[in-house]
Amino acid sequence: MELRFFEIYRNPEYLWLLAEGVTLSALVTLAGAILGFAMAACLAVTRYERIPVLHWIAAAYVDFIRNTPLIVQLFFVAFGLPQLLGYVWPFWAHAVLALTLNFSAYFAEILRAGFQTVDAGQHDAARALGLPRFVRFFKIVLPQSIAQMFASLNSQFIFLFLTTGVISEIGVRDLTFAGLYIDSRTFRSFEVFITLTVLYILVSLAFKGLMRLVEKRAFRWKGAR
Amino acid sequence: MKDLFIALLGKPDGIILFQLLEATQYTIYLSLIAFLGGGLLAALITLVRIAPNTWGKRISVSYIWLFQSTPLLMMLFLAGLGVPRLFDIDVNPWTAAIISLVIYASAYLSDVWRGAVESVPVGQWEGARAIGLGFLKTLRLVILPQAFRIALAPTVGFMVQIIKGTSLAYIIGFHDLMAIGKRWANAPVEGSEPFIIFPLMALIYFALCYPLTLYSRHLERSFGANTNKVAPAAV
Repeated sequence: MELRFFEIYRNPEYLWLLAEGVTLSALVTLAGAILGFAMAACLAVTRYERIPVLHWIAAAYVDFIRNTPLIVQLFFVAFGLPQLLGYVWPFWAHAVLALTLNFSAYFAEILRAGFQTVDAGQHDAARALGLPRFVRFFKIVLPQSIAQMFASLNSQFIFLFLTTGVISEIGVRDLTFAGLYIDSRTFRSFEVFITLTVLYILVSLAFKGLMRLVEKRAFRWKGAR
Repeated sequence: MKDLFIALLGKPDGIILFQLLEATQYTIYLSLIAFLGGGLLAALITLVRIAPNTWGKRISVSYIWLFQSTPLLMMLFLAGLGVPRLFDIDVNPWTAAIISLVIYASAYLSDVWRGAVESVPVGQWEGARAIGLGFLKTLRLVILPQAFRIALAPTVGFMVQIIKGTSLAYIIGFHDLMAIGKRWANAPVEGSEPFIIFPLMALIYFALCYPLTLYSRHLERSFGANTNKVAPAAV
């Protein structure tokens, strides 16, 4: 037993690969999270407003995604869909699509639960005042629920980031991919995966910091927490 | 059994479905072992966490933080490739998958259980102390029966995370539903194209997970803590 971390950090090629991997992992996750959040908002609103038929489809979609593994969804998006529909995309685009579809279901569940915490009386009162549906939603429900959903969305986002390593399985050159490459060259598996773990934790800490900044800016009215 | 599938569905389809379902049993075994092992370890960590001991608290908090922050995939790589190469030993995929999933499950379950114990009002601890019960007796007779009801729904819900988590074990050579399915998807056989195999696998995983999700929801409705908070979930 001998730890030889220097075999990784003394090699500029490996350092560069790891840096590229961190960047790509972070970017693909961010893209998936932003698109996924937009989709989740649509899903959650559809369910909250009980839009006929669509709210049923949205609920089924969320349940299906949440009860199947990300990797199966990823393989279907990356290998199944292109063959079925006959399109050719770069690997990272498949990964972004798969993560978007996956993240949206988890975010939608948090949003739906968040909307429900708004007191029903608020909704009824707005209705009694004759406010139209979208005003009720955007001026009454959303502002009251968004601040408290933010914390849940944050931790969900970090959790999801930690699962994105699977995109290396479809050839995306993310952090895990970089690690596997270095591992295949050096055979220092233990050192390589410890390094990757530390990098994943550092990136998730960076994301946490970023989110705290966003929270401070967006919810200044809530005061210091 | 295999012949029945072939008789019903024809040559390639019957064999594919049979092999997928046969491989599913290993997914189930691995999930059960991970849940039971993870539960035992989590019980120990929870106990250390809530016991009146500063060092135990620190250690269990660090443990939970560390293993909740480590991606499951990295744990699998470390247990399946890293440790065997470092110590020059053979670790078979079963052992590596079980160790990673047990640690993964224990970190999350102990967090859920700690939350359940802490949601029992402090007055209950004080009351038990006032009538002269010690720490373990208070826990066993007063706190745990109440915490159990709160913890049940999220615990059942977490089993879904474990089942989904086992789908990563194929990466270190574990032969489960995922491994067999992926092999078929790569095979140039008509009827095993990726757009057929992967939805089929998704359906099998769904059939394993969804009943647990429904049961967890049922438990939450009957006697869960009505917090309206969605626990983070992934994989």
